[in-house]
Amino acid sequence: MAALLEIRDISKAFGGIQALDGVDVAIDAPGIYGLIGPNGAGKTTLFDVVCGRQVADRGEVRAEGRAVGRLSPDRLARLGFARTFQECRVFPDETCLDNVLFGAQDKRLGVEWRQLLTRGMGARSARRDEAMRLLTLVRLDTYADRPAAALSYGQRRLLEIVSTLIARPRFLLLDEPASGINPTLLNVLHDFLLKMYEERPIVFLVVEHNMPFIMSLASHIVVMHQGRVLTTGSPADIQRDPAVIDAYLG
Amino acid sequence: MTAMTALTAMTAPRAGRLAIAIVALLALAAPFLLADQPYFLHVLILTMTFAIPAIGLNLLLGYTGLVSLGHMGFAGVGAYTTALLMMDHGWSAVPAMAAGAAAAGVLGVLVGIPCLRLRSHFFIIVTLAVGMILFALFNNLDGITGGAEGLPGVPRPGPLDLGFMVIDFRRLGGFYWFALVVTLFALLVQYLIVRSDFGRSLAAIRQDEILAAARGVNVFAHKLAIFGISTALAGLGGALKVMFLRVAAPLSFELLESINLVLLTIVGGAGYLAGPIIGALVYVAIPEILRFADAWRLVLFGVILVAMTLFAPRGLSGMIEAGWRRLRRGPAVTGEEAADGRPA
Ligand SMILES: Nc1ncnc2c1ncn2[C@@H]1O[C@H](COP(=O)(O)OP(=O)(O)OP(=O)(O)O)[C@@H](O)[C@H]1O
Ligand SMILES: [Mg+2]
Repeated sequence: MAALLEIRDISKAFGGIQALDGVDVAIDAPGIYGLIGPNGAGKTTLFDVVCGRQVADRGEVRAEGRAVGRLSPDRLARLGFARTFQECRVFPDETCLDNVLFGAQDKRLGVEWRQLLTRGMGARSARRDEAMRLLTLVRLDTYADRPAAALSYGQRRLLEIVSTLIARPRFLLLDEPASGINPTLLNVLHDFLLKMYEERPIVFLVVEHNMPFIMSLASHIVVMHQGRVLTTGSPADIQRDPAVIDAYLG
Repeated sequence: MTAMTALTAMTAPRAGRLAIAIVALLALAAPFLLADQPYFLHVLILTMTFAIPAIGLNLLLGYTGLVSLGHMGFAGVGAYTTALLMMDHGWSAVPAMAAGAAAAGVLGVLVGIPCLRLRSHFFIIVTLAVGMILFALFNNLDGITGGAEGLPGVPRPGPLDLGFMVIDFRRLGGFYWFALVVTLFALLVQYLIVRSDFGRSLAAIRQDEILAAARGVNVFAHKLAIFGISTALAGLGGALKVMFLRVAAPLSFELLESINLVLLTIVGGAGYLAGPIIGALVYVAIPEILRFADAWRLVLFGVILVAMTLFAPRGLSGMIEAGWRRLRRGPAVTGEEAADGRPA
Protein backbone atom coordinates (compact mmCIF):
# COMPACT_ATOMS: atom_id res chain seq x y z
CA MET A 1 0.00 0.00 0.00
CA ALA A 2 1.16 3.54 -0.77
CA ALA A 3 2.55 5.64 2.07
CA LEU A 4 0.28 8.31 3.55
CA LEU A 5 2.83 10.97 2.71
CA GLU A 6 5.93 10.35 0.70
CA ILE A 7 8.55 13.03 0.13
CA ARG A 8 11.07 11.68 -2.35
CA ASP A 9 14.39 13.25 -3.31
CA ILE A 10 13.19 16.85 -2.99
CA SER A 11 15.72 19.55 -3.86
CA LYS A 12 15.28 23.28 -3.90
CA ALA A 13 17.85 26.02 -4.42
CA PHE A 14 17.49 29.77 -3.94
CA GLY A 15 20.16 31.36 -6.07
CA GLY A 16 23.36 29.83 -4.75
CA ILE A 17 21.81 28.45 -1.58
CA GLN A 18 20.84 24.78 -1.67
CA ALA A 19 17.98 24.95 0.83
CA LEU A 20 16.89 21.35 0.19
CA ASP A 21 19.29 18.74 -1.14
CA GLY A 22 17.56 15.43 -1.80
CA VAL A 23 15.14 15.11 1.10
CA ASP A 24 13.42 11.75 1.61
CA VAL A 25 10.71 11.31 4.22
CA ALA A 26 8.10 8.55 4.19
CA ILE A 27 5.20 8.61 6.61
CA ASP A 28 3.27 5.35 6.67
CA ALA A 29 0.83 5.92 9.50
CA PRO A 30 -0.89 8.77 11.32
CA GLY A 31 1.13 10.15 14.19
CA ILE A 32 2.83 13.21 15.59
CA TYR A 33 6.10 13.65 13.75
CA GLY A 34 8.68 16.14 14.95
CA LEU A 35 10.94 17.88 12.43
CA ILE A 36 14.03 19.40 14.03
CA GLY A 37 17.35 20.82 12.88
CA PRO A 38 19.51 23.91 13.14
CA ASN A 39 18.55 27.30 11.66
CA GLY A 40 18.70 27.21 7.90
CA ALA A 41 18.42 23.40 7.74
CA GLY A 42 15.52 23.71 5.28
CA LYS A 43 12.55 22.81 7.48
CA THR A 44 10.38 25.74 6.45
CA THR A 45 11.35 25.32 2.81
CA LEU A 46 10.23 21.69 3.01
CA PHE A 47 6.83 22.86 4.36
CA ASP A 48 6.63 25.41 1.54
CA VAL A 49 7.24 22.68 -1.04
CA VAL A 50 4.79 20.20 0.48
CA CYS A 51 2.07 22.86 0.75
CA GLY A 52 2.59 24.28 -2.74
CA ARG A 53 4.07 27.66 -1.86
CA GLN A 54 7.35 26.68 -3.55
CA VAL A 55 7.88 24.32 -6.46
CA ALA A 56 10.75 21.88 -5.97
CA ASP A 57 13.57 21.80 -8.51
CA ARG A 58 13.63 18.03 -8.32
CA GLY A 59 11.83 15.16 -6.65
CA GLU A 60 8.20 14.48 -5.87
CA VAL A 61 5.61 14.53 -3.13
CA ARG A 62 2.91 11.87 -2.97
CA ALA A 63 -0.13 11.85 -0.73
CA GLU A 64 -1.72 8.38 -0.56
CA GLY A 65 -0.03 7.55 -3.83
CA ARG A 66 -1.18 10.65 -5.65
CA ALA A 67 1.47 13.05 -7.00
CA VAL A 68 0.76 16.42 -5.41
CA GLY A 69 4.10 18.17 -5.89
CA ARG A 70 2.91 20.53 -8.61
CA LEU A 71 -0.41 21.56 -7.13
CA SER A 72 -1.22 25.09 -5.98
CA PRO A 73 -1.59 25.91 -2.27
CA ASP A 74 -5.36 26.23 -2.51
CA ARG A 75 -5.74 22.87 -4.29
CA LEU A 76 -3.58 21.25 -1.62
CA ALA A 77 -5.60 22.92 1.13
CA ARG A 78 -8.74 21.43 -0.36
CA LEU A 79 -7.02 18.03 -0.52
CA GLY A 80 -6.51 18.16 3.23
CA PHE A 81 -3.18 19.90 3.73
CA ALA A 82 -3.23 22.61 6.39
CA ARG A 83 -0.29 24.58 7.68
CA THR A 84 0.76 27.35 9.99
CA PHE A 85 3.53 29.80 9.17
CA GLN A 86 6.77 30.35 11.04
CA GLU A 87 6.04 34.10 10.99
CA CYS A 88 2.46 33.42 12.19
CA ARG A 89 -0.36 34.53 9.93
CA VAL A 90 -3.91 35.39 10.92
CA PHE A 91 -6.44 37.77 9.35
CA PRO A 92 -5.89 40.87 11.49
CA ASP A 93 -9.17 42.69 10.76
CA GLU A 94 -11.38 39.70 11.49
CA THR A 95 -12.46 38.64 14.95
CA CYS A 96 -10.99 35.49 16.44
CA LEU A 97 -14.25 33.65 15.84
CA ASP A 98 -14.38 34.81 12.21
CA ASN A 99 -10.78 33.70 11.74
CA VAL A 100 -11.67 30.21 12.91
CA LEU A 101 -14.95 30.04 10.99
CA PHE A 102 -13.15 31.07 7.83
CA GLY A 103 -11.02 27.97 8.30
CA ALA A 104 -14.20 25.90 8.21
CA GLN A 105 -15.63 27.64 5.14
CA ASP A 106 -15.81 25.82 1.82
CA LYS A 107 -13.91 28.21 -0.46
CA ARG A 108 -14.70 26.69 -3.83
CA LEU A 109 -16.07 29.52 -5.96
CA GLY A 110 -19.10 27.51 -7.06
CA VAL A 111 -20.04 26.64 -3.49
CA GLU A 112 -19.61 30.25 -2.42
CA TRP A 113 -21.85 31.44 -5.25
CA ARG A 114 -24.55 28.99 -4.26
CA GLN A 115 -24.35 30.25 -0.69
CA LEU A 116 -24.60 33.84 -1.93
CA LEU A 117 -27.62 33.23 -4.13
CA THR A 118 -29.55 31.02 -1.71
CA ARG A 119 -28.41 32.94 1.38
CA GLY A 120 -27.76 29.48 2.83
CA MET A 121 -25.90 28.74 6.02
CA GLY A 122 -22.72 27.49 4.44
CA ALA A 123 -20.32 25.07 6.10
CA ARG A 124 -18.95 27.96 8.08
CA SER A 125 -22.02 28.85 10.13
CA ALA A 126 -22.72 25.21 10.87
CA ARG A 127 -19.42 24.97 12.72
CA ARG A 128 -19.88 27.80 15.20
CA ASP A 129 -20.15 25.52 18.25
CA GLU A 130 -17.08 23.58 17.21
CA ALA A 131 -15.17 26.83 16.70
CA MET A 132 -16.09 28.04 20.18
CA ARG A 133 -15.11 24.68 21.69
CA LEU A 134 -11.65 24.85 20.12
CA LEU A 135 -11.20 28.50 21.13
CA THR A 136 -12.13 27.57 24.69
CA LEU A 137 -9.56 24.76 24.73
CA VAL A 138 -6.77 27.27 23.98
CA ARG A 139 -8.33 29.86 26.32
CA LEU A 140 -9.28 32.29 23.57
CA ASP A 141 -13.04 32.06 24.11
CA THR A 142 -13.20 35.41 25.89
CA TYR A 143 -11.49 36.97 22.87
CA ALA A 144 -13.90 35.49 20.34
CA ASP A 145 -15.33 38.88 19.34
CA ARG A 146 -12.05 40.78 19.37
CA PRO A 147 -10.15 41.48 16.17
CA ALA A 148 -7.13 39.20 15.81
CA ALA A 149 -4.90 42.27 15.61
CA ALA A 150 -5.64 42.91 19.29
CA LEU A 151 -4.15 39.57 20.40
CA SER A 152 -0.69 39.01 21.81
CA TYR A 153 1.80 37.18 19.61
CA GLY A 154 1.38 33.94 21.52
CA GLN A 155 -2.40 34.17 21.34
CA ARG A 156 -2.20 34.78 17.62
CA ARG A 157 -0.21 31.57 17.26
CA LEU A 158 -2.86 29.63 19.12
CA LEU A 159 -5.55 31.23 16.95
CA GLU A 160 -3.63 30.26 13.81
CA ILE A 161 -3.43 26.63 14.95
CA VAL A 162 -7.12 26.47 15.83
CA SER A 163 -8.01 27.99 12.44
CA THR A 164 -6.19 25.17 10.65
CA LEU A 165 -7.63 22.38 12.79
CA ILE A 166 -11.26 23.39 12.24
CA ALA A 167 -10.85 22.52 8.56
CA ARG A 168 -10.36 18.85 9.56
CA PRO A 169 -7.16 18.43 7.58
CA ARG A 170 -5.54 15.08 6.88
CA PHE A 171 -2.04 16.53 7.02
CA LEU A 172 -1.31 19.25 9.55
CA LEU A 173 2.02 21.05 9.27
CA LEU A 174 2.92 23.31 12.19
CA ASP A 175 5.97 25.57 11.84
CA GLU A 176 7.32 26.32 15.32
CA PRO A 177 3.96 26.37 17.12
CA ALA A 178 5.57 26.85 20.55
CA SER A 179 7.70 29.87 19.69
CA GLY A 180 6.57 33.02 21.48
CA ILE A 181 4.19 31.14 23.76
CA ASN A 182 4.61 31.64 27.52
CA PRO A 183 5.30 28.61 29.75
CA THR A 184 1.74 28.32 31.08
CA LEU A 185 0.20 28.44 27.63
CA LEU A 186 2.88 26.02 26.45
CA ASN A 187 1.27 23.31 28.57
CA VAL A 188 -2.15 24.30 27.27
CA LEU A 189 -0.85 24.00 23.70
CA HIS A 190 0.81 20.65 24.42
CA ASP A 191 -2.37 19.16 25.85
CA PHE A 192 -4.46 20.74 23.12
CA LEU A 193 -2.41 19.18 20.33
CA LEU A 194 -2.49 15.76 22.01
CA LYS A 195 -6.26 16.03 22.47
CA MET A 196 -6.75 17.03 18.84
CA TYR A 197 -4.63 14.09 17.74
CA GLU A 198 -6.64 11.68 19.88
CA GLU A 199 -9.92 13.01 18.50
CA ARG A 200 -8.79 12.73 14.88
CA PRO A 201 -5.58 10.77 14.39
CA ILE A 202 -3.98 12.29 11.28
CA VAL A 203 -0.45 13.20 10.25
CA PHE A 204 0.93 16.02 12.41
CA LEU A 205 4.29 17.30 11.18
CA VAL A 206 5.72 19.74 13.69
CA VAL A 207 8.83 21.89 13.25
CA GLU A 208 10.11 22.95 16.65
CA HIS A 209 13.26 24.27 18.33
CA ASN A 210 11.86 23.76 21.83
CA MET A 211 13.32 20.30 22.58
CA PRO A 212 11.43 19.38 25.78
CA PHE A 213 8.19 20.38 24.01
CA ILE A 214 8.71 18.38 20.83
CA MET A 215 10.35 15.38 22.48
CA SER A 216 7.38 14.89 24.79
CA LEU A 217 4.83 15.58 22.06
CA ALA A 218 6.10 13.60 19.09
CA SER A 219 6.36 9.85 18.69
CA HIS A 220 8.85 10.11 15.81
CA ILE A 221 11.57 12.65 15.12
CA VAL A 222 13.08 13.60 11.75
CA VAL A 223 16.37 15.51 11.99
CA MET A 224 17.37 17.80 9.13
CA HIS A 225 20.74 19.34 8.55
CA GLN A 226 21.97 21.42 5.61
CA GLY A 227 19.05 20.53 3.37
CA ARG A 228 19.19 16.78 4.04
CA VAL A 229 17.60 14.34 6.41
CA LEU A 230 20.31 13.45 8.90
CA THR A 231 18.43 10.71 10.70
CA THR A 232 15.04 9.62 11.97
CA GLY A 233 13.98 7.76 15.09
CA SER A 234 12.13 7.83 18.37
CA PRO A 235 12.69 10.85 20.65
CA ALA A 236 14.78 8.69 23.01
CA ASP A 237 17.03 7.42 20.20
CA ILE A 238 17.47 10.90 18.72
CA GLN A 239 18.49 12.44 22.02
CA ARG A 240 21.23 9.79 22.33
CA ASP A 241 22.43 9.93 18.69
CA PRO A 242 26.00 11.33 18.59
CA ALA A 243 25.57 12.71 15.06
CA VAL A 244 22.46 14.67 16.11
CA ILE A 245 24.14 15.95 19.25
CA ASP A 246 27.04 17.04 17.13
CA ALA A 247 25.00 18.80 14.46
CA TYR A 248 22.23 20.30 16.53
CA LEU A 249 21.65 19.42 20.15
CA GLY A 250 25.20 20.37 21.13
CA MET B 1 -15.98 41.82 8.59
CA THR B 2 -16.97 43.23 11.97
CA ALA B 3 -16.41 46.92 12.40
CA MET B 4 -15.80 47.07 8.67
CA THR B 5 -18.98 48.63 7.41
CA ALA B 6 -20.95 51.62 8.49
CA LEU B 7 -23.99 49.41 8.14
CA THR B 8 -22.60 46.83 10.56
CA ALA B 9 -22.46 49.51 13.19
CA MET B 10 -25.94 50.59 12.29
CA THR B 11 -27.86 47.36 11.77
CA ALA B 12 -27.52 46.10 15.34
CA PRO B 13 -29.14 49.02 17.18
CA ARG B 14 -32.74 49.90 16.46
CA ALA B 15 -31.87 53.59 16.07
CA GLY B 16 -29.61 52.68 13.16
CA ARG B 17 -32.39 50.85 11.33
CA LEU B 18 -34.62 53.83 11.91
CA ALA B 19 -31.98 56.13 10.39
CA ILE B 20 -31.69 53.91 7.31
CA ALA B 21 -35.48 53.79 6.96
CA ILE B 22 -35.71 57.58 7.15
CA VAL B 23 -32.97 58.05 4.54
CA ALA B 24 -34.68 55.50 2.27
CA LEU B 25 -38.06 57.26 2.63
CA LEU B 26 -36.51 60.64 1.90
CA ALA B 27 -34.73 59.22 -1.14
CA LEU B 28 -37.97 57.72 -2.40
CA ALA B 29 -40.01 60.87 -1.82
CA ALA B 30 -37.43 63.25 -3.26
CA PRO B 31 -39.37 63.94 -6.52
CA PHE B 32 -42.32 65.16 -4.42
CA LEU B 33 -40.22 67.04 -1.88
CA LEU B 34 -38.16 68.68 -4.60
CA ALA B 35 -41.02 69.12 -7.09
CA ASP B 36 -40.19 72.78 -7.65
CA GLN B 37 -36.43 72.24 -7.35
CA PRO B 38 -35.56 70.37 -10.57
CA TYR B 39 -31.92 71.33 -10.22
CA PHE B 40 -31.56 69.33 -6.99
CA LEU B 41 -33.15 66.31 -8.60
CA HIS B 42 -30.77 66.67 -11.51
CA VAL B 43 -27.80 66.73 -9.12
CA LEU B 44 -29.07 63.72 -7.20
CA ILE B 45 -29.37 61.69 -10.40
CA LEU B 46 -25.89 62.76 -11.46
CA THR B 47 -24.65 61.67 -8.03
CA MET B 48 -26.14 58.23 -8.61
CA THR B 49 -24.41 57.89 -11.98
CA PHE B 50 -21.12 58.25 -10.09
CA ALA B 51 -22.16 56.18 -7.09
CA ILE B 52 -22.83 53.04 -9.16
CA PRO B 53 -19.34 52.72 -10.70
CA ALA B 54 -17.99 53.68 -7.26
CA ILE B 55 -19.84 50.71 -5.76
CA GLY B 56 -18.10 48.51 -8.31
CA LEU B 57 -14.76 50.05 -7.46
CA ASN B 58 -15.44 49.72 -3.73
CA LEU B 59 -15.79 45.97 -4.12
CA LEU B 60 -12.28 45.94 -5.60
CA LEU B 61 -10.55 48.64 -3.61
CA GLY B 62 -12.29 48.44 -0.26
CA TYR B 63 -13.04 44.75 0.01
CA THR B 64 -10.51 42.88 -2.15
CA GLY B 65 -7.60 45.32 -2.00
CA LEU B 66 -7.24 45.70 -5.79
CA VAL B 67 -6.83 49.11 -7.41
CA SER B 68 -8.27 49.92 -10.84
CA LEU B 69 -7.35 53.25 -12.39
CA GLY B 70 -9.36 52.67 -15.55
CA HIS B 71 -12.81 52.02 -14.22
CA MET B 72 -14.59 54.80 -16.11
CA GLY B 73 -13.28 53.21 -19.30
CA PHE B 74 -15.34 50.14 -18.45
CA ALA B 75 -18.24 52.43 -17.62
CA GLY B 76 -17.85 53.79 -21.15
CA VAL B 77 -18.07 50.30 -22.64
CA GLY B 78 -21.39 49.84 -20.85
CA ALA B 79 -22.51 53.30 -21.91
CA TYR B 80 -21.77 52.98 -25.64
CA THR B 81 -23.07 49.42 -25.79
CA THR B 82 -26.35 50.50 -24.24
CA ALA B 83 -26.63 53.61 -26.41
CA LEU B 84 -25.95 51.72 -29.64
CA LEU B 85 -28.35 48.89 -28.79
CA MET B 86 -31.13 51.37 -28.04
CA MET B 87 -30.49 53.75 -30.93
CA ASP B 88 -29.48 51.41 -33.76
CA HIS B 89 -31.23 48.19 -32.78
CA GLY B 90 -34.30 49.45 -30.98
CA TRP B 91 -33.66 47.60 -27.72
CA SER B 92 -35.62 48.80 -24.74
CA ALA B 93 -33.84 50.33 -21.79
CA VAL B 94 -33.56 47.50 -19.29
CA PRO B 95 -32.24 44.78 -21.60
CA ALA B 96 -29.89 47.31 -23.21
CA MET B 97 -28.50 48.28 -19.82
CA ALA B 98 -28.08 44.64 -18.85
CA ALA B 99 -26.23 44.02 -22.09
CA GLY B 100 -24.07 47.09 -21.50
CA ALA B 101 -23.16 45.89 -18.02
CA ALA B 102 -22.45 42.40 -19.38
CA ALA B 103 -20.21 43.79 -22.13
CA ALA B 104 -18.17 45.75 -19.58
CA GLY B 105 -17.97 42.70 -17.31
CA VAL B 106 -16.83 40.41 -20.13
CA LEU B 107 -14.17 42.91 -21.13
CA GLY B 108 -13.11 43.07 -17.47
CA VAL B 109 -12.70 39.30 -17.40
CA LEU B 110 -10.72 39.36 -20.65
CA VAL B 111 -8.39 42.00 -19.23
CA GLY B 112 -8.19 40.19 -15.92
CA ILE B 113 -7.17 36.79 -17.29
CA PRO B 114 -3.68 37.84 -18.37
CA CYS B 115 -3.24 40.66 -15.86
CA LEU B 116 -4.61 39.57 -12.49
CA ARG B 117 -1.68 37.25 -11.91
CA LEU B 118 0.64 40.24 -12.10
CA ARG B 119 1.85 41.80 -8.91
CA SER B 120 -0.42 44.53 -7.65
CA HIS B 121 1.49 47.58 -8.88
CA PHE B 122 1.77 46.12 -12.39
CA PHE B 123 -1.94 45.43 -12.33
CA ILE B 124 -2.62 49.06 -11.42
CA ILE B 125 -0.57 50.21 -14.41
CA VAL B 126 -2.41 47.82 -16.72
CA THR B 127 -5.78 49.19 -15.61
CA LEU B 128 -4.49 52.70 -16.22
CA ALA B 129 -3.43 51.73 -19.73
CA VAL B 130 -6.72 49.98 -20.47
CA GLY B 131 -8.61 53.07 -19.35
CA MET B 132 -6.52 55.24 -21.66
CA ILE B 133 -6.93 52.88 -24.61
CA LEU B 134 -10.69 52.71 -24.14
CA PHE B 135 -10.94 56.51 -24.02
CA ALA B 136 -8.85 56.77 -27.21
CA LEU B 137 -11.23 54.30 -28.88
CA PHE B 138 -14.35 56.19 -27.77
CA ASN B 139 -12.79 59.41 -28.95
CA ASN B 140 -11.55 58.21 -32.33
CA LEU B 141 -13.78 55.44 -33.64
CA ASP B 142 -15.99 58.04 -35.29
CA GLY B 143 -17.97 55.49 -37.28
CA ILE B 144 -19.16 53.68 -34.14
CA THR B 145 -18.92 56.07 -31.21
CA GLY B 146 -19.35 59.36 -33.02
CA GLY B 147 -15.85 60.45 -32.00
CA ALA B 148 -15.43 63.51 -29.84
CA GLU B 149 -19.02 64.59 -30.55
CA GLY B 150 -20.33 61.35 -29.13
CA LEU B 151 -23.74 59.85 -29.79
CA PRO B 152 -26.54 62.34 -29.17
CA GLY B 153 -30.14 61.29 -28.77
CA VAL B 154 -29.90 58.33 -26.42
CA PRO B 155 -33.51 57.56 -25.53
CA ARG B 156 -34.94 57.30 -22.03
CA PRO B 157 -36.92 54.24 -20.94
CA GLY B 158 -40.55 54.15 -22.06
CA PRO B 159 -43.31 54.98 -19.56
CA LEU B 160 -44.27 52.43 -16.90
CA ASP B 161 -47.96 51.90 -16.16
CA LEU B 162 -48.43 50.83 -12.55
CA GLY B 163 -52.25 50.84 -12.79
CA PHE B 164 -52.76 53.55 -10.19
CA MET B 165 -50.13 55.81 -11.75
CA VAL B 166 -47.98 56.07 -14.86
CA ILE B 167 -44.31 56.86 -14.40
CA ASP B 168 -42.87 58.85 -17.27
CA PHE B 169 -39.11 58.35 -17.30
CA ARG B 170 -38.58 61.16 -19.77
CA ARG B 171 -39.49 63.59 -16.99
CA LEU B 172 -36.94 64.34 -14.31
CA GLY B 173 -38.97 62.96 -11.40
CA GLY B 174 -39.70 59.73 -13.25
CA PHE B 175 -36.11 59.22 -14.29
CA TYR B 176 -35.03 59.88 -10.71
CA TRP B 177 -36.96 56.79 -9.61
CA PHE B 178 -35.46 54.78 -12.41
CA ALA B 179 -31.97 55.84 -11.33
CA LEU B 180 -32.83 55.11 -7.71
CA VAL B 181 -33.91 51.56 -8.53
CA VAL B 182 -30.70 50.94 -10.49
CA THR B 183 -28.65 52.34 -7.61
CA LEU B 184 -30.48 50.20 -5.07
CA PHE B 185 -29.80 47.18 -7.26
CA ALA B 186 -26.07 47.98 -7.22
CA LEU B 187 -26.17 48.48 -3.46
CA LEU B 188 -27.97 45.15 -3.08
CA VAL B 189 -25.29 43.40 -5.15
CA GLN B 190 -22.63 44.97 -2.97
CA TYR B 191 -24.43 44.02 0.24
CA LEU B 192 -25.02 40.42 -0.81
CA ILE B 193 -21.40 39.95 -1.84
CA VAL B 194 -19.90 41.57 1.23
CA ARG B 195 -22.07 39.53 3.59
CA SER B 196 -21.47 36.21 1.83
CA ASP B 197 -18.80 33.52 2.09
CA PHE B 198 -17.53 34.85 -1.26
CA GLY B 199 -17.12 38.28 0.33
CA ARG B 200 -15.24 36.74 3.24
CA SER B 201 -12.79 35.15 0.84
CA LEU B 202 -12.30 38.55 -0.82
CA ALA B 203 -11.61 40.14 2.57
CA ALA B 204 -9.13 37.35 3.28
CA ILE B 205 -7.33 38.11 0.01
CA ARG B 206 -7.15 41.78 0.97
CA GLN B 207 -5.63 41.01 4.34
CA ASP B 208 -3.17 38.28 3.42
CA GLU B 209 -3.07 36.65 0.00
CA ILE B 210 -0.60 33.96 1.05
CA LEU B 211 -2.68 32.95 4.04
CA ALA B 212 -5.87 33.04 1.97
CA ALA B 213 -4.33 30.63 -0.55
CA ALA B 214 -3.06 28.33 2.21
CA ARG B 215 -6.61 28.19 3.59
CA GLY B 216 -7.97 27.07 0.22
CA VAL B 217 -8.93 30.28 -1.59
CA ASN B 218 -8.21 30.22 -5.31
CA VAL B 219 -6.91 33.77 -5.26
CA PHE B 220 -6.80 34.24 -9.03
CA ALA B 221 -10.31 32.89 -9.64
CA HIS B 222 -11.74 35.03 -6.87
CA LYS B 223 -9.99 38.15 -8.14
CA LEU B 224 -11.19 37.45 -11.66
CA ALA B 225 -14.78 36.98 -10.51
CA ILE B 226 -14.87 40.20 -8.51
CA PHE B 227 -13.12 42.14 -11.26
CA GLY B 228 -15.79 40.99 -13.71
CA ILE B 229 -18.59 41.98 -11.32
CA SER B 230 -16.92 45.29 -10.57
CA THR B 231 -16.45 46.25 -14.21
CA ALA B 232 -20.03 45.18 -14.95
CA LEU B 233 -21.27 47.56 -12.24
CA ALA B 234 -19.14 50.29 -13.78
CA GLY B 235 -20.80 49.55 -17.13
CA LEU B 236 -24.22 49.78 -15.49
CA GLY B 237 -23.38 53.21 -14.11
CA GLY B 238 -22.11 54.36 -17.49
CA ALA B 239 -25.32 53.17 -19.14
CA LEU B 240 -27.42 55.09 -16.63
CA LYS B 241 -25.35 58.19 -17.19
CA VAL B 242 -25.79 58.34 -20.97
CA MET B 243 -29.48 57.61 -20.64
CA PHE B 244 -29.77 60.52 -18.24
CA LEU B 245 -27.64 62.98 -20.24
CA ARG B 246 -29.15 61.63 -23.48
CA VAL B 247 -25.74 61.64 -25.07
CA ALA B 248 -22.81 59.22 -24.94
CA ALA B 249 -19.71 61.40 -25.02
CA PRO B 250 -16.08 60.34 -24.49
CA LEU B 251 -15.26 63.03 -21.93
CA SER B 252 -17.46 61.30 -19.36
CA PHE B 253 -15.16 58.31 -19.53
CA GLU B 254 -11.69 59.80 -19.66
CA LEU B 255 -8.76 59.02 -17.40
CA LEU B 256 -9.36 61.95 -15.07
CA GLU B 257 -12.84 60.64 -14.33
CA SER B 258 -11.38 57.24 -13.45
CA ILE B 259 -8.97 58.84 -11.03
CA ASN B 260 -11.74 60.96 -9.54
CA LEU B 261 -13.72 57.77 -9.05
CA VAL B 262 -10.87 56.27 -7.03
CA LEU B 263 -10.59 59.45 -4.96
CA LEU B 264 -14.30 59.70 -4.23
CA THR B 265 -14.38 56.05 -3.20
CA ILE B 266 -11.53 56.65 -0.76
CA VAL B 267 -13.02 59.88 0.55
CA GLY B 268 -16.40 58.21 1.08
CA GLY B 269 -14.71 55.33 2.87
CA ALA B 270 -13.42 52.32 0.96
CA GLY B 271 -14.63 49.11 2.56
CA TYR B 272 -17.88 50.62 3.84
CA LEU B 273 -21.23 49.77 2.27
CA ALA B 274 -22.27 53.43 2.31
CA GLY B 275 -18.84 54.71 1.25
CA PRO B 276 -19.58 55.09 -2.50
CA ILE B 277 -22.83 56.96 -1.81
CA ILE B 278 -21.22 59.34 0.66
CA GLY B 279 -18.22 59.82 -1.62
CA ALA B 280 -20.40 60.56 -4.65
CA LEU B 281 -22.49 63.02 -2.65
CA VAL B 282 -19.39 64.87 -1.52
CA TYR B 283 -17.80 64.78 -4.95
CA VAL B 284 -20.82 65.63 -7.10
CA ALA B 285 -23.63 67.05 -5.05
CA ILE B 286 -21.90 69.47 -2.70
CA PRO B 287 -19.80 71.28 -5.36
CA GLU B 288 -22.78 71.37 -7.74
CA ILE B 289 -25.06 72.81 -5.14
CA LEU B 290 -22.47 75.30 -3.94
CA ARG B 291 -22.05 76.13 -7.64
CA PHE B 292 -18.32 75.78 -7.68
CA ALA B 293 -16.46 76.21 -10.87
CA ASP B 294 -14.87 72.99 -12.03
CA ALA B 295 -11.34 74.03 -11.11
CA TRP B 296 -12.35 74.94 -7.57
CA ARG B 297 -14.05 71.62 -7.16
CA LEU B 298 -10.74 69.88 -7.69
CA VAL B 299 -8.99 72.23 -5.29
CA LEU B 300 -11.61 71.66 -2.61
CA PHE B 301 -11.51 67.95 -3.24
CA GLY B 302 -7.72 67.90 -3.03
CA VAL B 303 -7.77 69.71 0.30
CA ILE B 304 -10.41 67.34 1.68
CA LEU B 305 -8.34 64.41 0.48
CA VAL B 306 -5.15 65.60 2.16
CA ALA B 307 -7.01 66.37 5.39
CA MET B 308 -8.62 62.96 5.18
CA THR B 309 -5.41 61.01 4.80
CA LEU B 310 -4.01 62.88 7.77
CA PHE B 311 -6.99 62.78 10.11
CA ALA B 312 -9.47 60.20 8.86
CA PRO B 313 -7.65 57.43 7.01
CA ARG B 314 -10.84 55.35 6.84
CA GLY B 315 -12.78 58.01 4.95
CA LEU B 316 -15.99 59.80 5.84
CA SER B 317 -17.76 56.52 6.59
CA GLY B 318 -15.04 55.70 9.10
CA MET B 319 -15.51 59.10 10.72
CA ILE B 320 -19.26 58.64 10.87
CA GLU B 321 -18.85 55.19 12.36
CA ALA B 322 -16.47 56.45 15.04
CA GLY B 323 -18.75 59.39 15.83
CA TRP B 324 -21.76 57.09 16.02
CA ARG B 325 -19.99 54.83 18.51
CA ARG B 326 -18.96 57.78 20.62
CA LEU B 327 -22.54 59.01 20.62
CA ARG B 328 -23.87 55.67 21.76
CA ARG B 329 -21.29 54.86 24.40
CA GLY B 330 -19.93 58.15 25.66
CA PRO B 331 -16.52 59.57 24.89
CA ALA B 332 -13.28 57.77 24.12
CA VAL B 333 -14.49 54.31 23.22
CA THR B 334 -11.65 52.06 22.13
CA GLY B 335 -12.05 49.05 19.90
CA GLU B 336 -11.70 46.73 22.89
CA GLU B 337 -14.37 48.42 24.93
CA ALA B 338 -16.64 48.40 21.95
CA ALA B 339 -16.21 44.65 21.65
CA ASP B 340 -16.96 44.20 25.34
CA GLY B 341 -19.98 46.41 25.21
CA ARG B 342 -21.59 44.51 22.37
CA PRO B 343 -24.91 42.97 23.45
CA ALA B 344 -24.76 39.16 23.66
N1 LIG C 1 12.38 32.55 -0.32
C1 LIG C 1 13.71 32.37 -0.11
N2 LIG C 1 14.60 33.05 -0.85
C2 LIG C 1 15.93 32.89 -0.67
N3 LIG C 1 16.46 32.06 0.23
C3 LIG C 1 15.63 31.35 1.01
C4 LIG C 1 14.22 31.47 0.89
N4 LIG C 1 13.64 30.64 1.79
C5 LIG C 1 14.65 30.05 2.44
N5 LIG C 1 15.84 30.47 1.98
C6 LIG C 1 17.14 29.97 2.44
O1 LIG C 1 17.09 28.57 2.46
C7 LIG C 1 17.75 28.06 3.59
C8 LIG C 1 16.81 27.19 4.39
O2 LIG C 1 15.87 28.04 5.00
P1 LIG C 1 14.63 27.52 5.86
O3 LIG C 1 13.81 28.70 6.21
O4 LIG C 1 13.96 26.42 5.16
O5 LIG C 1 15.34 26.96 7.16
P2 LIG C 1 14.69 26.46 8.52
O6 LIG C 1 15.19 25.10 8.77
O7 LIG C 1 13.26 26.65 8.51
O8 LIG C 1 15.40 27.45 9.54
P3 LIG C 1 14.82 28.11 10.90
O9 LIG C 1 14.97 27.09 11.95
O10 LIG C 1 15.71 29.27 11.13
O11 LIG C 1 13.44 28.49 10.63
C9 LIG C 1 18.27 29.24 4.35
O12 LIG C 1 19.63 29.42 4.01
C10 LIG C 1 17.45 30.40 3.85
O13 LIG C 1 18.19 31.60 3.88
MG1 LIG D 1 11.97 27.80 9.51
